[in-house]
Amino acid sequence: MQDFNQQASGVRAVHDTSSGLSAGFARGNPPDLGCLNYNYEIVRFQERGAFSDLADLAGEARIAPSIQDLIDQYPTYPGRTSVIPYSMMAAAVLYNEEIFAEHDLSIPTTYSEFLEVCGALEDAGVTPIYSTYADPWTVAQGLVDYSVGGRLDVAEFFEQLRAQGADAGPDAPVSFSRTLREPLEQMLEIAAFSQPGAASRGYGDGNVGFARGDAAMYLQGPWALGEIATINPDARIGIFPLPMTEDPEDLKVRVNLDLALWVPEASNAQEPARELLRYLITPEIADAYNQDNLAFGVREDAPAVQDARLQDLQGFVDRAAFYQGVSQAIPRTIPFENYAQGIVTGQSLEATLRTLDEDWARLARRSETEA
Amino acid sequence: MTLPTTTIPGGAASTTPRRSTDNSRRAALPTSRRSDRHRWGTTVLLMLGALTVILPFYVTISMAFKTGEQAVEGEAFALPAPFSVEGFSTAWALTDFPRAFTISILITLATVIGTILLSAMASYAISRNWEKKAYRWAFYYLLAAMFLPFPVLALSQVKLTGMVELANPLGVALLHIMFQISFSTLLFTAFLRSLPAELEESARMDGASTAGAFWRIVFPLMAPMSATVGIFAFLKSWNDFMMPSLIIADPSLQTLPVIQEIFQTQFSNNYHVSFASYLMAMAPAIIAYVISQRWVLSGLTQGAVK
Amino acid sequence: MTTATTPPRTAEAPTGVSPRSRPAPRRRPRTDRVYLWFLLPTLVLFTLSITMPAAMGIFYSFTDSVGFGEFNFVGLNNYLVMFSDPAILSSYGFTIGVALCTVILVNVVALTLAIGLTSKIRAKTALRTIFVMPMVVSGIIIAFVFQFIFANTVPATAQALQLGVLEESILADPDLAWISIVLVTAWQAVPQAMLIYIAGLMTVPRDVYEASAIDGASAWKQLRSITLPLISGFVLINVIIGFKDFLGTYEIIVGLTDGGPGTSTRSVAMTIFSGFDNGDYAYQMANSTIFFLITLTIALIQLRLTRGNARI
Repeated sequence: MQDFNQQASGVRAVHDTSSGLSAGFARGNPPDLGCLNYNYEIVRFQERGAFSDLADLAGEARIAPSIQDLIDQYPTYPGRTSVIPYSMMAAAVLYNEEIFAEHDLSIPTTYSEFLEVCGALEDAGVTPIYSTYADPWTVAQGLVDYSVGGRLDVAEFFEQLRAQGADAGPDAPVSFSRTLREPLEQMLEIAAFSQPGAASRGYGDGNVGFARGDAAMYLQGPWALGEIATINPDARIGIFPLPMTEDPEDLKVRVNLDLALWVPEASNAQEPARELLRYLITPEIADAYNQDNLAFGVREDAPAVQDARLQDLQGFVDRAAFYQGVSQAIPRTIPFENYAQGIVTGQSLEATLRTLDEDWARLARRSETEA
Repeated sequence: MTLPTTTIPGGAASTTPRRSTDNSRRAALPTSRRSDRHRWGTTVLLMLGALTVILPFYVTISMAFKTGEQAVEGEAFALPAPFSVEGFSTAWALTDFPRAFTISILITLATVIGTILLSAMASYAISRNWEKKAYRWAFYYLLAAMFLPFPVLALSQVKLTGMVELANPLGVALLHIMFQISFSTLLFTAFLRSLPAELEESARMDGASTAGAFWRIVFPLMAPMSATVGIFAFLKSWNDFMMPSLIIADPSLQTLPVIQEIFQTQFSNNYHVSFASYLMAMAPAIIAYVISQRWVLSGLTQGAVK
Repeated sequence: MTTATTPPRTAEAPTGVSPRSRPAPRRRPRTDRVYLWFLLPTLVLFTLSITMPAAMGIFYSFTDSVGFGEFNFVGLNNYLVMFSDPAILSSYGFTIGVALCTVILVNVVALTLAIGLTSKIRAKTALRTIFVMPMVVSGIIIAFVFQFIFANTVPATAQALQLGVLEESILADPDLAWISIVLVTAWQAVPQAMLIYIAGLMTVPRDVYEASAIDGASAWKQLRSITLPLISGFVLINVIIGFKDFLGTYEIIVGLTDGGPGTSTRSVAMTIFSGFDNGDYAYQMANSTIFFLITLTIALIQLRLTRGNARI
């Protein structure tokens, strides 16, 4: 990523998950080329046509259809290619191979096997899962996303939810209360296997604890692998998808478009920005980036990951057995991560889901009356 | 801690009145009413209270000088063993301390100077024209901002500063000044009212212009109040987190307090590094305060009295 | 210096000022312009950077703007939705509750310290220097430090002492996390209130105490029946300044709980700031406007009370 900005003379490219992005748009000077995590924040801009059309470049990027789908699962701006995927991360349960071997455990592929593994670990005096409730995002992206994504079709759920418009609510045919309740009850069963005091541990603590072998499993994405390796270079870590049903065929991994590229309409350096974008999507640059960052390529012919730990997930990615987390499809005006944190720290699941439904309906009403 | 400070008359703030009232204060206290001896009971209680103040500083210092391995254990009270400055060098590089420090200093200096000059001039104009309605209204107008909390204006200010190319430290300094104007003008006008007008009159007799009389006679006389205004402006500006974090668009131009956020997100398990960084961010203000505490305390008290 | 002057009273101010400018009416046309130049830059900058954003915020609160791009007018819709939004309402409940608790705690501690520090004690300067120290450090950093203390040190110490109750961090308990916010906010706010009280205590003449001491009044009674009434104006100032400041609490919360656990510690300021990132600009502008009206109401009550309390 170093040559990124060397090439970028005259173009202001941003490459981080800077929360100043919205402020940038509000100020009227967004970056010329965006290269950011694709989440609902980006969708907001995309939906409103804040990004210029990149249809011509999209051809050159040769995006795999299953990955292009991920973009289309969110509200897009009609008739426009606003965003080009660049890098995809796949996340599942990280586990300590040594602990598993020591207790003679194999990777669970069904929900009951998973509970058995947890039970066996607990009986052996090993903490099954390291949880970090103090950082709400870790709850939302780990426990919640895995549990929900492993049970139901997240994209379809949101499609139906959006179709209901302002009629949404706790009692509507499709609602958080109805649909998410069971997976989240399972989640609470899983969460109960966390270490004591999880409520005051944060992401950093989690990396340290898991790296030192304080627990056998850790529900975090590949982004944590780097830190874990720094803390304990000898840790042997593997990855498996969280089984949520009794059918081993149902296994899926959580993915997110860690980087997606876009050029704002408001940029006054459109051409150079597009030039840079064209350079970035060349296979040599893109593949090298993804390799370095433990990410999966998004081209049809992208090479397989080389990192040993991630190879376990390659099959799922190839088969498109993946989903985007439920936490990523909820507008940030609803404090979903905080709700997730509330649920695991003892607030009522039912009440929280009801609040979530009401928030969703209120938002839908607001955008309808406004439109 | 038991420095032989009792010989210093009446603590720091406004020495003379304190001295005379000190004896009376004794009477309000539980123990022996009449003796001239020091109250050891009260002293000890206050020292225990002071521990609560010192505790977080102690934790910061002890964590900062630990090695990575020791810090990770999270034992706040354990003394560093071995003693390590690795946290500091790492933090120095991670936060690009010299740059953040320079930016913070520049914003603070600009705020202090700007606040003193602008509000002193405005207050002078207002207090010498108090009988004119327009000036009175100007005073109340400036004062109104005291009741306007920053959150209310923040998002719009982000928009506006972006439009006029002030989404940078300069914009923050300007906004810091403007948020200090109300309070500072209040202090200065009160002070100017107590200033005998004869001094200016005599300067004018000697042929000085209004501006000349202000700069040569009045402004120097305002020095004690300028110090107070300056100290408050310094504290607000140097320690501010909200405004720079929202206004400054370029992360590489962020101020010292805002930079500390990276330890909550990216480097959250390197306690020794984060605490070293906190310490470096706090130290300048604390050192400046301890060195000049007499002066600062009297300044703060003057502000408090308003 | 010891007559605390809140916004100069109109009735009183001219007596201080006008006699001085009166003697020289002939000069007025010339000097006026200089005065104007002294005042104008401030007024212009102030209008641009304070008044304009305020007006802009009110304007946008009647639209559906997300912070950029086009927008439509939606009348009072934002306000109407707001009043039925439990997230907003609970943030007000939380913010006002925390502000009240903090005000009480700050004033009790500050007054106690002020009485202690103005009595005849050892190491007075050193103690005073230490007690004012929290005032000179940045709130966000101190919140980070306390966050570590609450999350690690307190539970570890409680475990070592077998205390039971405190072994789980209070930051992690939705019902208790607010206490940490009150404590840390108070930790930082006590010095300012304390300085005001010290100034206030110096206005109390000593002979009052001597008289009551002869009557054999207890210390507590002295405090209640002599000290408190005499410094009531200072108490009022502290309560009102404090309340206004604590309503805007933001960075301490960001550093300690970031609104959690769950949504149990989301303050109004926090909700407003989230407006940009969430595409809720217009909506949060409506929230800001209400927040301003509340602050203003409190300010007006302040003015009223301090005026009624003619001489502080």
